[in-house]
Amino acid sequence: MAAKRYTSMAYASADEMSFGVSKYPVKAGLGLEIGAGYTIPEINYAPRPAAGASKEKLIKEYEKITTDVMSRMVQVGFPAIILETEHVQQMSNNPSWGAEVAHAQKTIMEEYHDEYGIKCALRHTIGDIRENRDFLQLRGDKYSVFLEAFEECAKSGADMLSVESMGGKEVFDQAILRNDIAGMLYGIGCLGSIDMEMIWTDIAKIAKKTGTIAAGDTDCAQANTAMFIGGGLLDKNLAHTLAVLARAISAPRTLCGFEAGAVGPGKDCGYENVIIKAITGMPMAQEGKSSTCAHSDLVGNLIMQCCDCWSNESVEYHGEFGGTTVQCWSESLAYDCALMNTALETKNEKVLRDLFMLSDRYRDPQSYALAYDNAYKIGQAIVKDGDNIYLRAKNAAIECCNIISEGAAGKLALSRFETKALADAKASLDSLTDDMDKFMDDCLTKYKSEVKVFLPENYGL
Amino acid sequence: MLDFTEASLKKVLTRYNVALEKEMTPEAAAEELYPKDEFVYPIAKAIFEGEEDDVVEGLQAAMDAGKDPIILIDDALMVGMGVVTKLYDEGIIFLPNVMMSADAMLNGIEFCKENSETAPVTKGTVVCHVAEGDVHDIGKNIVAALLRANGYDVVDLGRDVPVDEVVASVIKNKPLMVTGTALMTTTMYAFKEVNDKLLEKGIKIPFACGGGAVNQDFVSQYALGVYGEEAADAPKIADAIIAGTNDIAALRDKFHKH
Repeated sequence: MAAKRYTSMAYASADEMSFGVSKYPVKAGLGLEIGAGYTIPEINYAPRPAAGASKEKLIKEYEKITTDVMSRMVQVGFPAIILETEHVQQMSNNPSWGAEVAHAQKTIMEEYHDEYGIKCALRHTIGDIRENRDFLQLRGDKYSVFLEAFEECAKSGADMLSVESMGGKEVFDQAILRNDIAGMLYGIGCLGSIDMEMIWTDIAKIAKKTGTIAAGDTDCAQANTAMFIGGGLLDKNLAHTLAVLARAISAPRTLCGFEAGAVGPGKDCGYENVIIKAITGMPMAQEGKSSTCAHSDLVGNLIMQCCDCWSNESVEYHGEFGGTTVQCWSESLAYDCALMNTALETKNEKVLRDLFMLSDRYRDPQSYALAYDNAYKIGQAIVKDGDNIYLRAKNAAIECCNIISEGAAGKLALSRFETKALADAKASLDSLTDDMDKFMDDCLTKYKSEVKVFLPENYGL
Repeated sequence: MLDFTEASLKKVLTRYNVALEKEMTPEAAAEELYPKDEFVYPIAKAIFEGEEDDVVEGLQAAMDAGKDPIILIDDALMVGMGVVTKLYDEGIIFLPNVMMSADAMLNGIEFCKENSETAPVTKGTVVCHVAEGDVHDIGKNIVAALLRANGYDVVDLGRDVPVDEVVASVIKNKPLMVTGTALMTTTMYAFKEVNDKLLEKGIKIPFACGGGAVNQDFVSQYALGVYGEEAADAPKIADAIIAGTNDIAALRDKFHKH
């Protein structure tokens, strides 16, 4: 079944959006309703590497992690928690491993729910294992193992299913290091969207069959790579104006998951999620100032503006002065949520939302474009040609250029490098065709010749 | 919607990159560094601009005037690339400029090789790989490009490389160092295995590691490990080795930042 494209916005205006409230809340797990008027901490963790030596060791590690988190939430009096288990490769390559981990975790969560009434849910993020040493094999033999990993986890205790899929990355990796806007549009907007539609149609079917939630994907492999390469203010690896274009282009790709059946909450590292929420009205997880254990970014407060679940990205499990890492970070997340929930209960959420947003709005072109009012405009540009995966990606990029240019004419200070990169990108976008078929044909020829690891058959091309 | 006054904004935020920006444009800075030789100048400029066709055109003109193609690699291509890497190190240009220039330079080297029967001499060989179990290779690709841009011969083993294959390649190619990148904490433990197997074979070359979740503390745990915080550290470590700093402790002193 073809995906149902979004051609209109869920919200009539940007100002309607807030944290903790979404148009279409999602019931999940043990008593949770996500996006129904309160925010929820979502703790994410990685086992110590030595724990991956055997299935038994790995399960034991996740049992410790789960118990630590649940006990800390109860000790400090927080009403709700989501645990996100991002699979290590052994768990996705061996679906029974992931399933047994999910079962072990859910058993512990049920005990805490039964005893204390704490609302909780378990997200499992399956690894995109569809690759081998030389190539992505998106439609190859590993696709069935990939889907089996979703189904087994869903049957064994996972409440929400997610993935950070890789479609389009081979072309994007080449393009982002060469200021190649067409390659970014092709890699993220076209190839990535084609792959997203395929996998999320199948994941949504599994969720329906197992009574679980198809929660969503992110363009981590591409837009977050751009953000990571971009780095901080003094790094010279990538102009941040290009990094934010990758982010804008990532939104229509991530949207494909929702068009194919996902219902949220979208994955935490999808910084494009504010755009997705504006278009779909579905709840979203986000990460920012409380994910510095995993990486640095320039949107630490701003990105809380419209979150429904608030995540730390990922932290390796080990001891800190204040307890284990998962205890420390879940407590920090939960205090952030307590503040947002207090604002909601006292009807001050728009003030707090704007304070989050304004404290970072001018920090960087990335934060400026993701401020909820500007993100909403990018969403409008996407749905304008919502039926055309190429044009909506191009529209998002052009709108993003316009937003940054307008900002730079005001209080958003850009370096000369950022300004030049933005002007070059805009000129490149202006020179591109509006004809999707021509664009796809031209890019197929060009990147098949230039990117040796690009296999068109991965995308049915 | 709340917004700042200019005065309030300045109390909350400093855009250090804007405040510190140098006056000179990259093009003007490059112009000051290009050699003035009538044949070398257009080649160096074409490399800076990442124009592969212009590089080949410049090389052809120089060869037509009797210049030796292999000598042109050192005297023109590497000189042009030197301008690029110098301006990158000084923060005047960005990584994509370096990557495009490196593409143009490598294209030029191929052209020179095709027009000569003599093999070019490089600064040395470096073996590069992504840790076993890890398929994220953009960091390794940057490292390899920067090493090549600095005149090193790179043996690129690719991604998800078995430990034994890294060791076998080191034995075969006798590099001055080996590099490893990894995105995930779960895969970077392969570095320790590479380290141990190299030592078993009596090979004590620097093993420069970095990427994603890799940190200095981890790399310091194995005897040959030298941590590179950025990809651009790789050619600097190689240069230091060529200059005589072979001792791992000395390299750590020089490159470990924390």
